[in-house]
Order: sequence, then structure tokens, then C-alpha cells
Amino acid sequence: MTTMKHPGSKKKARTAGLYIVLYAALIFCAMITLVPFAYLLCASLKPSEIFFDNLFLPSGDGLFGVGWDKLNLDHFYRLFAQEGFARPILNSTFFASVSGVLATLFAAMSGYALAKYRFWGRETITKLVLAALVVPGALLFAPVYQQLYWFGMLDSYSGLIIPALAPAFGVYLFRQATINSVPTELLESARIDGCGEIKIFFTFVLPLIRPMMGAFLLLTFLGSWNNFIGAQIVLQTPEKMPLAVAINQLRGVYGTDYGLIMAGTVVSILPVLGLFLLLQKEFLSGLTAGAVKG
Amino acid sequence: MPRWFRLIFLLVPRESLSVGGWIICGLALTSSIAVLSWPIPQHQGLEFWIFSKGHGDLYETTLTQWNSEKDPKVDMSLLSNEALRQRMLASFLTDTPAADLMEVERNFVPQAFTGPIEDVGFVDLTDRLKQEGIYEQLNEPSFAPWTSRGRIFGLPHDVHPMMLVYRADVFEAAGIDLTQVKTWDEFARVVRPLVKDRNGDGITDYVIGMWATGAFRDHLEALLLQAGGALFDEHDQMQINTEVNAHVLATLVSWMVGPDRIAVDAPEFDAPANKMRLDGRVIAALMPDWLGGVWQMDMPGLSGKVKVMPMPAWEPGGRRTSVWGGTMLGIAKTTEDLESTWAFAKHLYLSEEVAEGLYRSNMIISPVKSFWDRPFYDEPVVYFSGQPYGRLYIELAPDVPIRTSSPFNTYAKDRVANALFRLKEYALETKQYSPDELMDEAHRQLEAAERLVRRQVEQNVFLRSEP
Repeated sequence: MTTMKHPGSKKKARTAGLYIVLYAALIFCAMITLVPFAYLLCASLKPSEIFFDNLFLPSGDGLFGVGWDKLNLDHFYRLFAQEGFARPILNSTFFASVSGVLATLFAAMSGYALAKYRFWGRETITKLVLAALVVPGALLFAPVYQQLYWFGMLDSYSGLIIPALAPAFGVYLFRQATINSVPTELLESARIDGCGEIKIFFTFVLPLIRPMMGAFLLLTFLGSWNNFIGAQIVLQTPEKMPLAVAINQLRGVYGTDYGLIMAGTVVSILPVLGLFLLLQKEFLSGLTAGAVKG
Repeated sequence: MPRWFRLIFLLVPRESLSVGGWIICGLALTSSIAVLSWPIPQHQGLEFWIFSKGHGDLYETTLTQWNSEKDPKVDMSLLSNEALRQRMLASFLTDTPAADLMEVERNFVPQAFTGPIEDVGFVDLTDRLKQEGIYEQLNEPSFAPWTSRGRIFGLPHDVHPMMLVYRADVFEAAGIDLTQVKTWDEFARVVRPLVKDRNGDGITDYVIGMWATGAFRDHLEALLLQAGGALFDEHDQMQINTEVNAHVLATLVSWMVGPDRIAVDAPEFDAPANKMRLDGRVIAALMPDWLGGVWQMDMPGLSGKVKVMPMPAWEPGGRRTSVWGGTMLGIAKTTEDLESTWAFAKHLYLSEEVAEGLYRSNMIISPVKSFWDRPFYDEPVVYFSGQPYGRLYIELAPDVPIRTSSPFNTYAKDRVANALFRLKEYALETKQYSPDELMDEAHRQLEAAERLVRRQVEQNVFLRSEP
């Protein structure tokens, strides 16, 4: 008896083969991406005396020829017990979350106003916002420092948060998101039904631009969490410094305890990694919003 | 909870944000409460910025003692090098107060010297130093990087002479007595037999860490200075395309490529390069005093295997040392209490206790000449095979070359590092490897570098040469 192969099964086998190759390539690329993280984690667990002996894990008599007994959490213990890392973690959380929430709110409000309200000077303001996007941040260090000095905001939390409240990038981003996602007819209907402007913004506009809110909130949170130069220039009191600065200060000029820095970096990565996992769906949909013409 | 914050939460519908978004809002609220309820101690007195944690640890005892006896007190803050530079420049450019005292690293200080001399943000210490006899107490070359147009703007922290460090165990096993080597030519000839596969892994091992990369620019400057070259003279006049500089570049390239190659790419502060040193694949390097402390921390495995010796000279009887790095203590013009600030600066930098601590913790020798006969500099150092490390460096300290404080020096170093790279490429293309064959091209590359640097210098009306 002869068996006949279904033409579809050959196609399925070919598709499965393609998937295997594709997934193998993707896994390989993912592994390459993860190599620095693996190095970071291994380095944070290695004692300083054997730091350079092996690239990743120390060699020894344990499973897979690894000296598991040589790994310890000493660097993490020192971070909190000796270097007082609890305060920088709190400071970073404070700067990143408050800046993120307020910047998202103000940028959304400004973007909405530029997109949907007709007022004198609207076009000029929009052009100024666009022009502000091309000014390199480094050029603004000296003038911002001088202004903060005039306002008495140097070495204060507000000196770091207030200049970041309405970033030009965010304002323009929300202007575009509002134009694309918020129908003017909806706003007019709400007004006819007697809804106030503030309620319209919070009740109708915000839910419609939710993907952009999530993406921008995460972006500003990450930006503030990693803000190093701004914090270094504006803040002077050691107790106010965020995590990025505290980690950098672990670097010595005449010698560096690499293990301690790696442990500090692991500590600084974990919270943002968790947040990214929570917000990744909105982040991606926010980034791709408007990418496909409807 | 502030009213406006509560109002926002009441106004914003739940569906406006995702779970993650609300978590960030929750974090904002709770962290605000935590920050407000965690008090921050008030800092008072003179402000003192430093960039090195090691220095900070060292000054702690002196500072505590000063603060318990004197008024106004001094409040020390540790900043990163880059932050200190940004704050210093922002403050000087906008004429706003900076710290009363600042410890600044050599690469950043010249940026304060770009304008008219009367607008430099640091207090001119020249007259004080000379009237109080401090200038004579300190090693004279150590003032050079903090001197612009004849005026001194900082107290030197160090001298930073350089020596050659080598794997004594490897050289002794090969029967080579490196201490008898007096010149670089002799060094290149003597070490050549060691250029081979020394550990049997099938890869040729070279001798010294030197390579045409950006990371090499400080080494390059040190070698140029040792040879009597350099990119700017002590009056900050440009002198890039010179015979001496061309000779150094051509010789370095002859060590990097060709049949007489002895050099390999092994920069400092680099994990793979440290591994090469530990494995004996690089067995010599240039070492300023401070680098000895770094090696002890980063490569404890080399303890008892390395030794230092004066650098071979570029010509018989020539200079056996050079200089790399440096820090100064400057006083900002905006200080409200210059006399107290100056008193503390002297107390800190002329303190024997700090000098001893600096040597014991960082292997750095003090610029205060009267401390140079102290016995702690004679103590044998196990890491350096029992050599009296401090004494060996002190013997070379008076010979340290004078350095420029030109703000264009960093730019010039990059351009000359590029010239070295191009010269190496030229040698590979033309298969000309000897210094004599490379001299003409070295001049051509240095001329091109000089043109680029001159263009930058000429844009500065305060520092360009008079026509």
C-alpha cells in the first residue's frame, strides 16, 4: 500500500523548519543582548580579589567547573550598610516618579491646548516648541544654572523637577497624539451637554490618548531615573543625590571597586526593569501610534 | 497629601492610565511623603568640593579636627569629575557662587583659563605663595599646570613622576637585567628576544603596553615631555611639528609595527588589559606614582612579581622620568571669606599627616619638599618586590618636566594621537618601519595636526600668539 503525503503537510514541515531557524536566530540575538547583563550579575557577585581572574563566573570545583562557593552578596551588603544606598534609591524614586507624573500631565495639557484650542499666538508657540527641540541640552547648562541661582533653587528638589515639567518633546508629542486620536466633534458634544473644560480634558481626552500617556510616562520616568548630569549640577547636598550619582561616586580616581559598582548598577536596573515589564504593552502601542495611516 | 494632588486623583478616571501608570503615580505620592519626612542635615561653613573618594577618606581626620577647633567650619562634598567641571564652568561663566574651595583634576583646570586673565574664576595665589614662602617649599614643576600667563591659580596636590614598571620574575627568568638599560633604544633591543609565544598558546606575546589609540594620549604626552618635546611650551606657545616630537612618534610606530615590534595594545583601567598583565602577556608599562596604588587594588596577583626603575631616556644622559596626571586646590573668587579659605587650604595641603596618608593609601608622593626625607617613603613595598617605592619616585621628582596649562592641550593631544595612528597606517602600507624612514611622514602628520590646533587657538583672542 502506498501512502500519499498530503501537500499541506510538506508546506507545514517547511514552515516549521523556517520557524525553527527563525527562533534559533532570535534566541541567538537575545543571548547576545543578554551577555552584558549576565556579566553584570556575575561581576556583582564576585569578590574583588578574584574580579579579573575569569570573565564571568570564577572557576572552581563546583557544578560546570564553576567555583560557586566563591560567589557572595558582600558587595550588595556594603552598598546598603556602608555606602548608605537606601537614601539615593528613595531620591531616585522620588525624582523619577514625580517628574514623570507631572511632566506627563503638563505635556498632555499643553499638547491638548495647542491641538484643540484657537487662541492668539498658537502657531508661534507651536513653532517655538518645535525650535526648542533642536537646541542641544549641553548648551543650556550655564543659563539654566544661572536662572536656578536667581530663583534660589540651586541644591533643591524643585530645581531639578521644575525645569523638566513641560519638555518640548512631550508637548509636541501630545499635540500630535491629540490631533490624531481626539475627535473635535466629541469635545463639542461634551461642551453642548454642559461639561467644563477641565472635566473634558480629564474625562474624555486622557482616556483617548492613554497609549501615549503610558509611553511618555515611562520615557520620562526612565530619563529622570538615569539623569546624571542635571542632578550633579543642580544638587550639592550629598543626601539629596539620586542613584545614578551615588553609583558614579563609587568610582575612585586612583582605583575602582568594580564589584561594588556592578552591584550598584544591578540595584539601579531592577526597579526600572520591573516598571518596563508592567508598562511595556502601552509603551509599544504608544510608540507605534500613528505609524499606520488609517 | 497636598490638596492639588488629591484633586488630580479625583479628576482622573481610572481608565486614563494603565496599572503601571497608576503604580508610578503611587510611587510619586509615597516617595514624596518619605522624602519630606526624612530630614536632611543642614550643611554650614565653607564649601569644599572634591572629586576623589580616596582624597575624601584621607581628609576626613584633618577636617574633623579643623571643624572641632576652628570657625568657620568646612563642609566637604564629593562630586564626580565631570559634575565638578560642569559646576565649576557654569559658575565661572555666569558669575554665580561655586564652592569656596575646589580640588580640580589637571585635564579640567585649563578650561578655566580660556578668557582674560582677570576673569579666571580662581583666586590668583601667586603673591601669597611667594610672600609666605610656600612657593619655595613645594616642588617647582608641580605649579606648572596651574599657572596661566605667569600667574598661579592653585596649590599643587602632587608631583606624579613616572617610572617603568616591569615583571621582574619574567625578566629575571630570561636572564635580562633591565636595570642596566639606560635608553629606549637599548630597551627595545634588550627586550626583543622576549617577543615570542611565551606561554605556549600559539600567540606571540609582546613586551610593553603602548598603542596608537585615544587611550594612549596621556602616555604619548608623557613620552613627548620626557624627550623634551610636548605640544605647547611652558609659555603655552604651540610647538607641535618639531624634530623631537617627530622622532618620538616615528620611534613609537617602529615599536608597534614591523619586524622590531615590542608593543601591544594594553591600556590602563581596562579589564582585558589587566588580564594580559596578570597572565604575563604584557610585562612592562609606564607608571606614575599613583598608578602603583591602582595596580595593587586591581591586580593583587602581581604582588612580589613587579619592580619599578627609572624610565629609559631618549638619549644617553637624558631625562629618566616624565609626568602624568595631577590635581590642584583652587579658591573660587566668589568666596566670602578668603582668609579662612586660604588658611584651610594651607592647613590641608601642607599637612604632614595628609602627605603620609596620601602615600600610604594611594602611593602618591607629596610636593612638599621638606617631607621627602620622612622614613615612610623608605619602607619596602611588598607588591613591588620589596623596593622602597616612595624613595625611588622622590629621587626623580625634581626632574619632572614642566607642563603646559593651555586649554587647547587636550585638543592637541587628540590630534597628535591621530597623527600617530596615521603614521602607523602609513608604515603598514609602505612597509617602512624604521624611525629614520618614518621621519618625513611623521613631520607631515604633525604639520597637519598643528594646522588644526592653530585654527582653534587663533579663534581665541586672549590666548592666540601676537602677529
